[in-house]
Amino acid sequence: MSDRKPVLEIEDLSVAYQTANGLVNAVNDVNLKVYPEEIVGLVGESGSGKSTMAYAIMRLLKGDAFVTKGHIKVMGEDLYALSPKELRKFRWNKISMVFQSAMSALNPVMTVQTQIVDTLTSHRPEMSKAEAIKRAGELLDVVRIDRKHLNSYPHELSGGMRQRVVIAIAIALSPGFVIMDEPTTALDVVVQRSILDQIREIQQVEKFAVLFISHDFSLVAELASQVAIMYAGRIVELTKSGTLRLGERHHPYTEGLLRAIPHLTADEVVIEGIPGTPPNLVNLPSGCAFYPRCPLATDECRKARPNLYQTDNAIIECHLFKGDREVQHV
Amino acid sequence: MSEQRNLVEVKDLLVKFPIADGGRRSFIRPVDHVSFAIKPGEVLALVGESGSGKSTIGKALVRIVEPSEGTIHVNDQDVTHIKRRELVAYRRYVQMVFQDPFGSLNPTRTIEQHLTFPLKKHGERGTNVSTSVDELLERVGLTPVAETRVKFPHELSGGQRQRVAIARALAVNPKFLVADEPISMLDVSIRAGILKLMNQLREDFNLAFLYITHDLASARYFGNRIMVLYGGKVMETANSDELIRHPMHPYTRLLLAATPGSGIRGALPETSNKAPNLVEGRKGCPFSDRCPLVTDICREQDPPIVQVSETHTTACHHV
Repeated sequence: MSDRKPVLEIEDLSVAYQTANGLVNAVNDVNLKVYPEEIVGLVGESGSGKSTMAYAIMRLLKGDAFVTKGHIKVMGEDLYALSPKELRKFRWNKISMVFQSAMSALNPVMTVQTQIVDTLTSHRPEMSKAEAIKRAGELLDVVRIDRKHLNSYPHELSGGMRQRVVIAIAIALSPGFVIMDEPTTALDVVVQRSILDQIREIQQVEKFAVLFISHDFSLVAELASQVAIMYAGRIVELTKSGTLRLGERHHPYTEGLLRAIPHLTADEVVIEGIPGTPPNLVNLPSGCAFYPRCPLATDECRKARPNLYQTDNAIIECHLFKGDREVQHV
Repeated sequence: MSEQRNLVEVKDLLVKFPIADGGRRSFIRPVDHVSFAIKPGEVLALVGESGSGKSTIGKALVRIVEPSEGTIHVNDQDVTHIKRRELVAYRRYVQMVFQDPFGSLNPTRTIEQHLTFPLKKHGERGTNVSTSVDELLERVGLTPVAETRVKFPHELSGGQRQRVAIARALAVNPKFLVADEPISMLDVSIRAGILKLMNQLREDFNLAFLYITHDLASARYFGNRIMVLYGGKVMETANSDELIRHPMHPYTRLLLAATPGSGIRGALPETSNKAPNLVEGRKGCPFSDRCPLVTDICREQDPPIVQVSETHTTACHHV
């Protein structure tokens, strides 16, 4: 895998929000690579920094949020070095995003066709209107919505259909990399499942890479090949999704999450929450951010931030894995 | 448990709401002839998608919405249409925990005030009130108590707020709690704690629950029995393990197949994702326009209730 060029390369990225209470360190020294045609899951609780990271990658941070450190390269290109005009061409042609809430991602007073055509012509100015309209129809075919809905307004569509339209818009210009930020969170399970199946199907045809952001472990485990687990702005573990179960070697936080979800089919139903609450991002704990909640914490965890260790199936940031090979980056 | 009498008995419950249908007045039926019973200390999990009527049933039980037809008996009392004083007295038996712990607490009141109010409303006076507040907070694990008492909701995390909401419901010593998606807005690491707390309360107070959820996995964990709803009608009811392991109704099977981690692989049967039709006068099985097994009879006639075993029933023409 390493001989291919990654579509996404994040190096020592830190993002902070300026607030009245001081700097909120939402993302802290994160490294991550996503390779072509790969689906990588990004899992974390609310406030773990997963959405902030997505916005940073898209260069969509606004207002009080800014990148304090590090580099982001998408297909070898540094988004932050582009001029506004270049950025506009880069977005959607190379990288696009599916936002969390389909209702607010779509304009309520524009028809589906107008929105798709708008996206196409603004990110690819050389495309004629007629071409764009033709492509809009094709895109609805791809996401299996009847073409008659080209003239529908968002409120006339069901939640699942709206999310499909948002996905259609995201893949409109065949980007190589799509960020999906909780695309199915607000939907019923059956609709959620059919959209996930569809994402997988389209991804296999169009061959784009995906960074799939979610808080739902079991869902990401089914979809992604690799899963990055985020806690307090750090990626504390990057693991093969097939090994996301108890009994494998994982970060204590990952293990805590696995223990916290009731399983549908497991024989023994014992669940255990993680004590305490996620840390305040203004005053991060010293050392490992998870130590106040970690059942296995030692003095060392309080004092020093752990290094990364490579196990058979994962890269884990935890002092407990000292016996394993130390690595520099995930 | 089976010899015990029912604490809650719902028969043929029907709730309808008026809607404007092009100027004509017509009705939808979010709850359409639903019957079930809950024993003391039992948890009935109500599972369904949005629009299935699960929250409306919960609200009808605590009498926030008025049932249109049918009866609700709690503790042998007919509470279907009681009013005023009787209703206040009834709510000492039944309390509700809502989905959104951010919306269900008053941002301008301290936690102490949140708990004092129901205590006083239902008759406690003097120093008893203060002791009860301490006990309640300890019960739900919000310690140190003295610190929590003076806090405002915005100073607490989502999980802690939901604990306050549970403590408030417990203030009147109810025998029955309606919990409407109490964990769906909480973070994964917090959910287990709330589920465990509710489990503990059930054991300690022999508290019965109507646990409303869209998540089959948590329904299986917390519920003794699971009742699956679709379009305001009961599709299938069985003991939790039985329902997950041997689902009979095509809708239950679809739900199970769609739940991540279900072990059932492969594509879902191709069905439309249309929302169920709730308009009054609709015929047949509400699931008929999505069902892979649908035949003409499903669109015409209400499905019979099939007794699969003593504790397992399903409503389908094709079982």
